[in-house]
Amino acid sequence: MSEDARFTPFAFLVINLARFILPGEITFSGVNSSLPMLACLLAKKSYDFHFTYINVAGGVDAVPASAPLSSSDPQLAVGSCSIFANEDFYDLCCRGRMGLCFLGAAQVDGAGNTNMSCIGDPHSPKVRLPGGGGAAVMLPVAQRAVIWRTEHSTRTLVEKLDFTTAAGGAHGLVTPYAVFEKIGGRLALKYRNKGITPAEVRKRTGFTFDAADAAPVPLPTQRELGALKALDPNGLFAAGAGIRLW
Amino acid sequence: MNTSKLVSLQILASMIKDGDSLGLGGSLLHRGPFALVRELIRSGRRHLEIIKASPGYDIDILCRAGSVAKARCGIVAMEGQFGFAPWYRKAVENGVLELEEHACATLAAGLRAAAFGVPFQPVAGVHGSDIAKLNNWACISDPYGSGKDCWVIPPIRPDIAVIHAAEATLAGDVRVYGTPHWDRLLTRAAKCVLVTTERLVDEALFAERPEWTLVPRFMTDAVAVVPRGAWPGSCLPFYGVDFQGIESYLANPGEDFLRTHLQNAPETRPEDASMD
Repeated sequence: MSEDARFTPFAFLVINLARFILPGEITFSGVNSSLPMLACLLAKKSYDFHFTYINVAGGVDAVPASAPLSSSDPQLAVGSCSIFANEDFYDLCCRGRMGLCFLGAAQVDGAGNTNMSCIGDPHSPKVRLPGGGGAAVMLPVAQRAVIWRTEHSTRTLVEKLDFTTAAGGAHGLVTPYAVFEKIGGRLALKYRNKGITPAEVRKRTGFTFDAADAAPVPLPTQRELGALKALDPNGLFAAGAGIRLW
Repeated sequence: MNTSKLVSLQILASMIKDGDSLGLGGSLLHRGPFALVRELIRSGRRHLEIIKASPGYDIDILCRAGSVAKARCGIVAMEGQFGFAPWYRKAVENGVLELEEHACATLAAGLRAAAFGVPFQPVAGVHGSDIAKLNNWACISDPYGSGKDCWVIPPIRPDIAVIHAAEATLAGDVRVYGTPHWDRLLTRAAKCVLVTTERLVDEALFAERPEWTLVPRFMTDAVAVVPRGAWPGSCLPFYGVDFQGIESYLANPGEDFLRTHLQNAPETRPEDASMD
């Protein structure tokens, strides 16, 4: 199979999350975050530079035998020489030392703020969402936060949030179809998935954005695809990720 | 001489009264005091308040049984591939459960205020979040003149902290393996600490490694030995998540299923649950 044929929406999402990780920085994945967990583990296998991967199970550069279905599973601390637990990683983030954290969202606006709380009146919500977890604290204080969303549509990428769970403006946003990166306080289209035009991205995105510098995404490397295959050998994560195309 | 803190699971549950606020240990599918939660349902406890940064199965089954009235949480989900916690979601949407939404670190700040003995605890971030307005939190300027503003969270002092441990001594010293999640802070913030444990361990073994002890005996009010007490979640180093157990909990919405689930849980069959 050709490399680009294997760049499925799921692979696009995981690999582009991984590509936000910078050499030398401290990167974090949290609860309910299978795709960021995969991205961090994939980056460890695929890139030659060093970075520190800490996770919500307390692991510091852990070497789990396989990727657990629960992104807070104790397996994520296997091989770690310390347990850097909840109070520690939140405090680290609060004092400005977290290089990159990945945050989920139900809705994202063009400034990179998120809603993970509710649709409708917060006192009597039409839909109660899971809640932002660490986001309201982490988004404003992490050096960079990158949002991941498995559905790219006008109901998820919105001009105006129903509720602002976390503000402060994420550095980036990755969906199955596009990668956005902040330019001058707004998310701008950076990459689009293969075969997707900027016009199509615009049609499926509720917020306005700049696409002047948008380019087709660089194809995945053999190492990236090999690492993803090793992390998800039976396709369980791909099948369960809830990727929703527009 | 040390007084034994050992009680049965039933006695432990009876120390929790209707309307109590409970700080539950663990996180999502991991090392939650799930057997104790089920015992609260079996014994008909009502109007409970749940305090936990990331509850899942525990708050969901309490909502399913109608046992909970209020919750203070950061994120609620079944995790893995299971998504929403359906009965929790329904309870909030129907107005049956009053939710005070937090970020995990603001809940920790409230617990720290209680643990530190101060009227509020500053926390970084939060700026621009609607959660602050919703909870009427105050934002104060630095009294030392840095010009920075800071959100402050009032104390969160659970009536009772309930944690599930890997090992405990008869006297009530408590040890966990892997991450303590928020359990250390929780036990310092609460007025009372109740513990379920996978097994009892001779205190000489604890004395060899005192720095591994999470909760010292004088802080622990009672301990019950409950093997597989975190089922269907995990407990290091003994067992992982029972994903089929979670799947079947979610796939069977009937009341009959809930009754069977409660009747057949590991703590009702101690002879099967005991470990080699």
